[in-house]
Amino acid sequence: MTETMNPRPDDDIQSLAGEYVLGTLSVVERADVEKRLPGDAALRSAVDAWEERLHPLVALAPPAEPSRALWPRIERSVAPLSSAPAASTAPQRPVAPEQRTGWWNSLQLWRGLAGSGFAAAAVLAAVLVTRSFAPAGPQYMVVLVAPADKAPGWVVQTAARPAGGGTQQLSLIPLGNTPVPEGRSLQFWTKGNDWRGPVSLGLVTPGRSIRVPIEQLPPLEADQLFELTLEPANGSPIDRPTGPIQFIGRAVKVL
Amino acid sequence: MSPSQASEDFDYEAALFACAQGDRQALARIYQRESRYLLGVALRIVRQRQYAEDVLHDAFVSIWQRAMTFDATRGAARGWIYSVVRHAALNWVRSNSRDVQVDEEATSALQDGMALDAHAERSDAGEVRVSLGRLDTCLEQLEDGRRECIVLAYVDGCSHGEIAARTGNPLGTVKAWIQRGMRSLRECMA
Repeated sequence: MTETMNPRPDDDIQSLAGEYVLGTLSVVERADVEKRLPGDAALRSAVDAWEERLHPLVALAPPAEPSRALWPRIERSVAPLSSAPAASTAPQRPVAPEQRTGWWNSLQLWRGLAGSGFAAAAVLAAVLVTRSFAPAGPQYMVVLVAPADKAPGWVVQTAARPAGGGTQQLSLIPLGNTPVPEGRSLQFWTKGNDWRGPVSLGLVTPGRSIRVPIEQLPPLEADQLFELTLEPANGSPIDRPTGPIQFIGRAVKVL
Repeated sequence: MSPSQASEDFDYEAALFACAQGDRQALARIYQRESRYLLGVALRIVRQRQYAEDVLHDAFVSIWQRAMTFDATRGAARGWIYSVVRHAALNWVRSNSRDVQVDEEATSALQDGMALDAHAERSDAGEVRVSLGRLDTCLEQLEDGRRECIVLAYVDGCSHGEIAARTGNPLGTVKAWIQRGMRSLRECMA
Protein backbone atom coordinates (compact mmCIF):
# COMPACT_ATOMS: atom_id res chain seq x y z
CA MET A 1 0.00 0.00 0.00
CA THR A 2 2.64 2.44 1.03
CA GLU A 3 4.49 1.52 -2.10
CA THR A 4 1.53 2.36 -4.29
CA MET A 5 1.02 5.72 -2.64
CA ASN A 6 4.69 6.61 -2.58
CA PRO A 7 6.27 4.85 -5.50
CA ARG A 8 10.01 4.66 -5.30
CA PRO A 9 11.72 7.21 -7.51
CA ASP A 10 13.18 4.35 -9.49
CA ASP A 11 9.68 3.19 -10.43
CA ASP A 12 8.82 6.65 -11.67
CA ILE A 13 11.95 6.80 -13.77
CA GLN A 14 11.37 3.32 -15.15
CA SER A 15 7.80 4.10 -16.00
CA LEU A 16 8.66 7.42 -17.65
CA ALA A 17 11.60 5.94 -19.57
CA GLY A 18 9.54 2.91 -20.58
CA GLU A 19 6.66 4.95 -21.94
CA TYR A 20 9.03 7.35 -23.65
CA VAL A 21 10.58 4.47 -25.57
CA LEU A 22 7.23 2.76 -26.05
CA GLY A 23 5.93 5.99 -27.59
CA THR A 24 2.84 6.64 -25.49
CA LEU A 25 3.92 9.99 -24.05
CA SER A 26 2.37 13.19 -25.35
CA VAL A 27 4.42 15.63 -27.34
CA VAL A 28 4.94 17.80 -24.24
CA GLU A 29 5.96 14.84 -22.08
CA ARG A 30 8.35 13.66 -24.80
CA ALA A 31 9.92 17.09 -24.92
CA ASP A 32 10.25 17.04 -21.16
CA VAL A 33 12.05 13.69 -21.20
CA GLU A 34 14.34 14.85 -23.99
CA LYS A 35 15.13 17.94 -21.99
CA ARG A 36 15.98 15.92 -18.87
CA LEU A 37 18.08 13.26 -20.58
CA PRO A 38 21.37 15.10 -21.01
CA GLY A 39 21.57 15.92 -17.31
CA ASP A 40 19.86 12.90 -15.79
CA ALA A 41 22.06 9.80 -15.82
CA ALA A 42 19.46 7.58 -14.14
CA LEU A 43 16.78 8.46 -16.67
CA ARG A 44 19.27 8.07 -19.50
CA SER A 45 20.32 4.60 -18.46
CA ALA A 46 16.68 3.59 -17.95
CA VAL A 47 15.90 4.82 -21.48
CA ASP A 48 18.90 2.98 -22.90
CA ALA A 49 17.80 -0.22 -21.20
CA TRP A 50 14.25 0.12 -22.53
CA GLU A 51 15.53 0.83 -26.04
CA GLU A 52 17.50 -2.37 -25.89
CA ARG A 53 14.69 -4.42 -24.36
CA LEU A 54 12.03 -3.41 -26.87
CA HIS A 55 14.23 -3.07 -29.95
CA PRO A 56 13.48 -6.61 -31.23
CA LEU A 57 9.87 -5.52 -31.84
CA VAL A 58 11.01 -3.48 -34.86
CA ALA A 59 11.09 -6.82 -36.67
CA LEU A 60 7.28 -6.81 -36.62
CA ALA A 61 7.10 -3.87 -39.05
CA PRO A 62 7.07 -5.17 -42.61
CA PRO A 63 9.86 -3.70 -44.76
CA ALA A 64 8.93 -0.92 -47.20
CA GLU A 65 11.12 -0.04 -50.16
CA PRO A 66 11.90 3.70 -50.19
CA SER A 67 11.32 5.61 -53.41
CA ARG A 68 14.37 6.11 -55.61
CA ALA A 69 14.33 9.82 -54.93
CA LEU A 70 14.88 9.46 -51.20
CA TRP A 71 18.60 8.72 -51.08
CA PRO A 72 19.54 11.53 -53.48
CA ARG A 73 17.47 13.83 -51.30
CA ILE A 74 19.30 12.71 -48.15
CA GLU A 75 22.60 13.09 -49.96
CA ARG A 76 21.76 16.65 -50.94
CA SER A 77 20.84 17.46 -47.36
CA VAL A 78 24.01 16.09 -45.82
CA ALA A 79 26.32 17.47 -48.50
CA PRO A 80 26.48 20.99 -47.08
CA LEU A 81 27.05 19.53 -43.62
CA SER A 82 29.82 17.20 -44.73
CA SER A 83 32.74 19.22 -43.59
CA ALA A 84 31.27 19.89 -40.17
CA PRO A 85 31.68 16.54 -38.37
CA ALA A 86 35.17 15.91 -39.69
CA ALA A 87 36.40 19.43 -39.15
CA SER A 88 35.32 19.68 -35.55
CA THR A 89 36.73 16.34 -34.46
CA ALA A 90 39.48 15.72 -36.95
CA PRO A 91 42.49 15.09 -34.76
CA GLN A 92 41.13 12.70 -32.18
CA ARG A 93 38.57 9.92 -32.01
CA PRO A 94 35.18 11.57 -32.11
CA VAL A 95 34.18 11.43 -28.49
CA ALA A 96 35.71 9.76 -25.51
CA PRO A 97 33.16 7.76 -23.51
CA GLU A 98 33.15 10.07 -20.53
CA GLN A 99 32.60 13.11 -22.70
CA ARG A 100 29.59 11.61 -24.33
CA THR A 101 26.58 12.98 -22.65
CA GLY A 102 23.50 12.39 -24.70
CA TRP A 103 22.82 9.42 -26.82
CA TRP A 104 19.34 8.74 -28.00
CA ASN A 105 18.60 12.41 -28.30
CA SER A 106 19.38 15.56 -30.06
CA LEU A 107 21.64 17.36 -27.69
CA GLN A 108 23.09 20.30 -29.51
CA LEU A 109 19.86 22.18 -29.15
CA TRP A 110 19.73 21.53 -25.44
CA ARG A 111 23.31 22.44 -24.80
CA GLY A 112 22.74 25.70 -26.59
CA LEU A 113 19.54 26.54 -24.82
CA ALA A 114 20.65 25.45 -21.38
CA GLY A 115 23.65 27.73 -21.69
CA SER A 116 21.43 30.65 -22.52
CA GLY A 117 19.10 30.13 -19.60
CA PHE A 118 15.98 30.23 -21.72
CA ALA A 119 12.63 28.74 -20.94
CA ALA A 120 13.77 25.62 -22.67
CA ALA A 121 10.74 23.45 -22.14
CA ALA A 122 8.40 25.99 -23.66
CA VAL A 123 10.72 26.42 -26.56
CA LEU A 124 11.04 22.73 -27.33
CA ALA A 125 7.32 22.31 -27.08
CA ALA A 126 7.02 25.07 -29.63
CA VAL A 127 9.54 23.41 -31.87
CA LEU A 128 7.80 20.10 -31.76
CA VAL A 129 4.43 21.63 -32.41
CA THR A 130 5.71 23.64 -35.31
CA ARG A 131 7.25 20.56 -36.89
CA SER A 132 3.87 20.11 -38.49
CA PHE A 133 4.84 22.66 -41.08
CA ALA A 134 8.53 21.92 -41.05
CA PRO A 135 9.10 18.93 -43.28
CA ALA A 136 12.32 17.83 -44.92
CA GLY A 137 15.65 19.55 -45.20
CA PRO A 138 17.84 21.37 -42.74
CA GLN A 139 15.78 23.18 -40.19
CA TYR A 140 16.64 26.32 -38.38
CA MET A 141 15.30 27.71 -35.22
CA VAL A 142 15.58 31.14 -33.76
CA VAL A 143 14.60 32.21 -30.29
CA LEU A 144 13.94 35.93 -30.29
CA VAL A 145 14.67 37.46 -26.92
CA ALA A 146 14.15 40.92 -25.46
CA PRO A 147 17.55 42.64 -25.52
CA ALA A 148 17.19 43.93 -21.96
CA ASP A 149 16.31 40.83 -19.93
CA LYS A 150 16.86 38.06 -22.51
CA ALA A 151 13.30 36.90 -21.98
CA PRO A 152 12.23 34.78 -24.94
CA GLY A 153 9.27 36.33 -26.74
CA TRP A 154 9.05 34.63 -30.10
CA VAL A 155 10.30 31.56 -31.89
CA VAL A 156 11.12 31.45 -35.57
CA GLN A 157 11.19 28.15 -37.27
CA THR A 158 12.18 27.54 -40.83
CA ALA A 159 12.27 24.57 -43.07
CA ALA A 160 14.61 24.79 -46.02
CA ARG A 161 13.06 22.36 -48.43
CA PRO A 162 15.03 20.63 -51.15
CA ALA A 163 14.53 21.77 -54.72
CA GLY A 164 11.01 21.27 -56.03
CA GLY A 165 9.60 20.65 -52.58
CA GLY A 166 7.13 23.53 -52.55
CA THR A 167 7.14 26.98 -51.09
CA GLN A 168 9.81 27.77 -48.59
CA GLN A 169 8.29 29.27 -45.51
CA LEU A 170 9.30 30.68 -42.24
CA SER A 171 7.06 30.76 -39.20
CA LEU A 172 7.14 33.31 -36.43
CA ILE A 173 5.41 32.03 -33.33
CA PRO A 174 4.65 34.12 -30.24
CA LEU A 175 5.49 32.72 -26.82
CA GLY A 176 3.35 35.38 -25.16
CA ASN A 177 1.59 38.62 -25.87
CA THR A 178 3.78 41.61 -26.64
CA PRO A 179 2.11 44.95 -25.95
CA VAL A 180 2.72 47.55 -28.63
CA PRO A 181 2.02 51.25 -27.98
CA GLU A 182 -0.90 52.87 -29.77
CA GLY A 183 -0.02 54.01 -33.27
CA ARG A 184 3.08 51.84 -33.52
CA SER A 185 3.72 48.46 -35.07
CA LEU A 186 6.11 45.54 -34.80
CA GLN A 187 8.14 44.87 -37.90
CA PHE A 188 9.98 41.65 -38.60
CA TRP A 189 13.44 41.75 -40.21
CA THR A 190 16.21 39.42 -41.17
CA LYS A 191 19.78 39.82 -42.27
CA GLY A 192 22.36 37.21 -43.31
CA ASN A 193 25.99 37.70 -42.37
CA ASP A 194 27.02 38.81 -45.84
CA TRP A 195 23.95 40.77 -46.81
CA ARG A 196 24.31 44.47 -47.37
CA GLY A 197 21.30 45.31 -45.27
CA PRO A 198 18.29 43.85 -43.50
CA VAL A 199 15.20 42.71 -45.36
CA SER A 200 11.70 43.32 -44.03
CA LEU A 201 9.56 40.24 -43.58
CA GLY A 202 6.48 42.30 -42.84
CA LEU A 203 4.43 43.61 -39.95
CA VAL A 204 3.52 41.38 -37.06
CA THR A 205 0.42 41.37 -34.89
CA PRO A 206 1.34 40.89 -31.22
CA GLY A 207 0.40 37.44 -29.94
CA ARG A 208 -0.31 36.09 -33.42
CA SER A 209 1.89 33.77 -35.40
CA ILE A 210 2.62 34.44 -39.03
CA ARG A 211 4.10 32.51 -41.90
CA VAL A 212 6.25 34.25 -44.42
CA PRO A 213 7.23 32.87 -47.82
CA ILE A 214 10.97 33.29 -48.20
CA GLU A 215 11.49 32.09 -51.75
CA GLN A 216 12.92 35.44 -52.74
CA LEU A 217 15.60 35.40 -50.08
CA PRO A 218 18.99 33.71 -50.21
CA PRO A 219 19.00 30.30 -48.48
CA LEU A 220 18.87 30.49 -44.74
CA GLU A 221 22.13 30.15 -42.96
CA ALA A 222 23.32 29.56 -39.44
CA ASP A 223 23.71 32.80 -37.45
CA GLN A 224 21.32 34.67 -39.71
CA LEU A 225 19.93 37.57 -37.72
CA PHE A 226 16.24 38.03 -37.03
CA GLU A 227 14.67 40.90 -35.16
CA LEU A 228 11.44 42.65 -34.35
CA THR A 229 11.57 46.41 -34.14
CA LEU A 230 9.09 49.03 -33.02
CA GLU A 231 8.06 51.10 -36.04
CA PRO A 232 5.41 53.61 -37.11
CA ALA A 233 1.91 52.17 -37.60
CA ASN A 234 2.53 51.28 -41.25
CA GLY A 235 6.03 50.04 -40.77
CA SER A 236 9.40 51.60 -41.34
CA PRO A 237 9.28 54.30 -44.05
CA ILE A 238 12.69 53.21 -45.30
CA ASP A 239 14.28 49.89 -46.15
CA ARG A 240 15.76 49.34 -42.75
CA PRO A 241 14.60 49.50 -39.14
CA THR A 242 14.12 52.94 -37.63
CA GLY A 243 12.86 52.04 -34.16
CA PRO A 244 14.23 50.20 -31.13
CA ILE A 245 14.78 46.45 -31.24
CA GLN A 246 12.12 44.61 -29.23
CA PHE A 247 13.31 41.06 -29.83
CA ILE A 248 16.42 39.68 -31.45
CA GLY A 249 18.00 36.30 -32.14
CA ARG A 250 20.17 34.31 -34.51
CA ALA A 251 19.38 31.15 -36.47
CA VAL A 252 20.59 27.84 -35.09
CA LYS A 253 20.46 24.64 -37.11
CA VAL A 254 18.38 22.00 -35.39
CA LEU A 255 17.64 18.41 -36.14
CA MET B 1 17.92 -10.78 -45.84
CA SER B 2 16.08 -10.30 -42.58
CA PRO B 3 16.87 -7.44 -40.25
CA SER B 4 18.40 -9.83 -37.78
CA GLN B 5 20.74 -11.35 -40.31
CA ALA B 6 21.78 -7.91 -41.37
CA SER B 7 23.45 -7.26 -38.08
CA GLU B 8 25.77 -10.22 -38.33
CA ASP B 9 27.91 -9.26 -41.27
CA PHE B 10 27.80 -5.49 -41.15
CA ASP B 11 29.77 -3.38 -38.74
CA TYR B 12 27.28 -0.70 -37.72
CA GLU B 13 29.59 0.76 -35.16
CA ALA B 14 32.37 1.20 -37.70
CA ALA B 15 29.88 2.78 -40.11
CA LEU B 16 28.74 5.30 -37.48
CA PHE B 17 32.33 6.06 -36.59
CA ALA B 18 33.07 6.69 -40.28
CA CYS B 19 30.02 8.99 -40.46
CA ALA B 20 31.38 10.92 -37.51
CA GLN B 21 34.59 11.34 -39.52
CA GLY B 22 32.64 12.78 -42.43
CA ASP B 23 32.60 9.69 -44.64
CA ARG B 24 29.40 9.94 -46.65
CA GLN B 25 29.90 6.49 -48.15
CA ALA B 26 29.42 5.08 -44.68
CA LEU B 27 26.02 6.74 -44.44
CA ALA B 28 25.20 5.34 -47.88
CA ARG B 29 26.13 1.86 -46.69
CA ILE B 30 23.83 2.15 -43.69
CA TYR B 31 21.08 3.37 -46.01
CA GLN B 32 21.62 0.51 -48.46
CA ARG B 33 21.58 -1.97 -45.67
CA GLU B 34 18.72 -0.72 -43.56
CA SER B 35 16.54 1.78 -45.41
CA ARG B 36 13.77 -0.66 -46.28
CA TYR B 37 13.50 -1.88 -42.71
CA LEU B 38 13.78 1.61 -41.29
CA LEU B 39 11.14 2.92 -43.68
CA GLY B 40 8.98 -0.01 -42.63
CA VAL B 41 9.31 1.04 -38.99
CA ALA B 42 8.57 4.70 -39.77
CA LEU B 43 5.69 3.89 -42.11
CA ARG B 44 3.99 1.77 -39.50
CA ILE B 45 4.07 4.70 -37.09
CA VAL B 46 3.27 7.67 -39.33
CA ARG B 47 1.03 5.65 -41.69
CA GLN B 48 1.49 7.77 -44.78
CA ARG B 49 4.30 6.97 -47.13
CA GLN B 50 5.13 10.51 -48.06
CA TYR B 51 5.49 11.53 -44.41
CA ALA B 52 7.34 8.32 -43.57
CA GLU B 53 9.91 9.21 -46.23
CA ASP B 54 10.18 12.72 -44.81
CA VAL B 55 10.78 11.21 -41.39
CA LEU B 56 13.42 8.84 -42.77
CA HIS B 57 15.10 11.72 -44.55
CA ASP B 58 15.23 13.76 -41.36
CA ALA B 59 16.41 10.76 -39.39
CA PHE B 60 19.30 10.08 -41.77
CA VAL B 61 20.39 13.70 -41.61
CA SER B 62 20.17 13.35 -37.86
CA ILE B 63 22.21 10.13 -37.86
CA TRP B 64 24.84 11.92 -39.90
CA GLN B 65 24.97 14.88 -37.58
CA ARG B 66 24.82 12.93 -34.35
CA ALA B 67 27.04 9.98 -35.28
CA MET B 68 29.78 11.40 -33.10
CA THR B 69 27.56 11.25 -30.04
CA PHE B 70 27.03 7.51 -30.44
CA ASP B 71 28.45 5.69 -27.45
CA ALA B 72 28.96 1.97 -27.87
CA THR B 73 29.13 1.46 -24.12
CA ARG B 74 25.47 2.44 -23.93
CA GLY B 75 24.00 0.12 -26.51
CA ALA B 76 24.36 -1.41 -29.95
CA ALA B 77 24.93 0.79 -32.98
CA ARG B 78 22.10 -0.77 -34.94
CA GLY B 79 19.70 -0.16 -32.07
CA TRP B 80 20.83 3.46 -31.96
CA ILE B 81 20.07 3.92 -35.65
CA TYR B 82 16.59 2.43 -35.21
CA SER B 83 15.90 4.56 -32.19
CA VAL B 84 16.77 7.74 -34.08
CA VAL B 85 14.24 6.78 -36.73
CA ARG B 86 11.57 5.67 -34.27
CA HIS B 87 11.79 8.80 -32.16
CA ALA B 88 11.70 10.97 -35.30
CA ALA B 89 8.54 9.12 -36.33
CA LEU B 90 7.04 9.35 -32.84
CA ASN B 91 7.76 13.06 -32.56
CA TRP B 92 6.16 13.54 -35.94
CA VAL B 93 3.06 11.59 -35.10
CA ARG B 94 2.63 13.17 -31.67
CA SER B 95 2.88 16.67 -33.13
CA ASN B 96 0.53 15.89 -36.00
CA SER B 97 -2.46 14.39 -34.31
CA ARG B 98 -3.92 11.97 -36.76
CA ASP B 99 -7.54 11.18 -37.35
CA VAL B 100 -7.94 7.48 -37.12
CA GLN B 101 -10.83 6.08 -39.05
CA VAL B 102 -12.92 3.49 -37.34
CA ASP B 103 -12.54 0.90 -40.10
CA GLU B 104 -8.85 1.31 -40.07
CA GLU B 105 -8.73 0.93 -36.30
CA ALA B 106 -10.46 -2.40 -36.36
CA THR B 107 -8.46 -3.75 -39.28
CA SER B 108 -5.14 -2.66 -37.87
CA ALA B 109 -5.86 -4.12 -34.45
CA LEU B 110 -6.74 -7.35 -36.15
CA GLN B 111 -3.63 -7.24 -38.29
CA ASP B 112 -1.45 -6.63 -35.31
CA GLY B 113 -2.91 -9.56 -33.48
CA MET B 114 -2.42 -11.68 -36.55
CA ALA B 115 1.12 -10.49 -37.10
CA LEU B 116 2.04 -11.33 -33.57
CA ASP B 117 0.38 -14.74 -33.72
CA ALA B 118 1.92 -15.49 -37.07
CA HIS B 119 5.23 -14.46 -35.68
CA ALA B 120 4.83 -16.71 -32.66
CA GLU B 121 3.87 -19.65 -34.82
CA ARG B 122 6.43 -19.22 -37.54
CA SER B 123 8.66 -22.25 -37.37
CA ASP B 124 10.91 -21.47 -40.30
CA ALA B 125 11.81 -18.03 -39.04
CA GLY B 126 14.35 -19.15 -36.51
CA GLU B 127 16.41 -16.01 -36.88
CA VAL B 128 13.43 -13.76 -36.16
CA ARG B 129 12.69 -15.72 -33.04
CA VAL B 130 16.30 -15.43 -32.07
CA SER B 131 16.21 -11.73 -32.62
CA LEU B 132 13.12 -11.34 -30.43
CA GLY B 133 14.80 -13.67 -27.99
CA ARG B 134 14.01 -13.09 -24.38
CA LEU B 135 11.46 -10.41 -25.25
CA ASP B 136 9.44 -12.98 -27.12
CA THR B 137 9.21 -15.27 -24.11
CA CYS B 138 8.38 -12.40 -21.82
CA LEU B 139 5.73 -10.99 -24.16
CA GLU B 140 4.12 -14.39 -24.33
CA GLN B 141 3.83 -14.45 -20.58
CA LEU B 142 1.83 -11.22 -20.58
CA GLU B 143 -1.92 -11.40 -20.68
CA ASP B 144 -3.24 -10.83 -24.20
CA GLY B 145 -4.66 -7.38 -23.57
CA ARG B 146 -1.42 -6.08 -22.18
CA ARG B 147 0.72 -7.57 -24.89
CA GLU B 148 -1.49 -6.09 -27.57
CA CYS B 149 -1.32 -2.62 -25.99
CA ILE B 150 2.46 -2.75 -25.91
CA VAL B 151 2.75 -3.88 -29.51
CA LEU B 152 0.22 -1.28 -30.70
CA ALA B 153 2.21 1.41 -28.96
CA TYR B 154 5.70 0.34 -29.97
CA VAL B 155 5.08 -0.89 -33.50
CA ASP B 156 2.13 1.28 -34.55
CA GLY B 157 2.98 4.39 -32.57
CA CYS B 158 -0.49 4.46 -31.02
CA SER B 159 -1.22 6.83 -28.16
CA HIS B 160 -3.13 5.64 -25.07
CA GLY B 161 -6.31 7.09 -26.58
CA GLU B 162 -5.80 5.38 -29.92
CA ILE B 163 -5.18 2.05 -28.23
CA ALA B 164 -8.34 2.49 -26.20
CA ALA B 165 -10.30 3.26 -29.37
CA ARG B 166 -8.80 0.37 -31.28
CA THR B 167 -9.18 -2.27 -28.63
CA GLY B 168 -12.49 -1.04 -27.23
CA ASN B 169 -11.09 -0.79 -23.71
CA PRO B 170 -11.50 2.19 -21.37
CA LEU B 171 -8.59 4.63 -21.40
CA GLY B 172 -7.83 4.00 -17.72
CA THR B 173 -7.63 0.28 -18.31
CA VAL B 174 -5.26 0.74 -21.22
CA LYS B 175 -2.98 2.99 -19.16
CA ALA B 176 -2.94 0.54 -16.26
CA TRP B 177 -2.32 -2.44 -18.53
CA ILE B 178 0.61 -0.72 -20.17
CA GLN B 179 2.10 0.25 -16.82
CA ARG B 180 1.74 -3.25 -15.43
CA GLY B 181 2.75 -4.93 -18.66
CA MET B 182 5.91 -2.86 -18.85
CA ARG B 183 6.73 -3.63 -15.23
CA SER B 184 6.27 -7.36 -15.87
CA LEU B 185 8.43 -7.15 -18.98
CA ARG B 186 11.20 -5.48 -17.08
CA GLU B 187 11.09 -8.04 -14.31
CA CYS B 188 10.92 -10.89 -16.80
CA MET B 189 13.90 -9.58 -18.76
CA ALA B 190 16.03 -8.67 -15.78
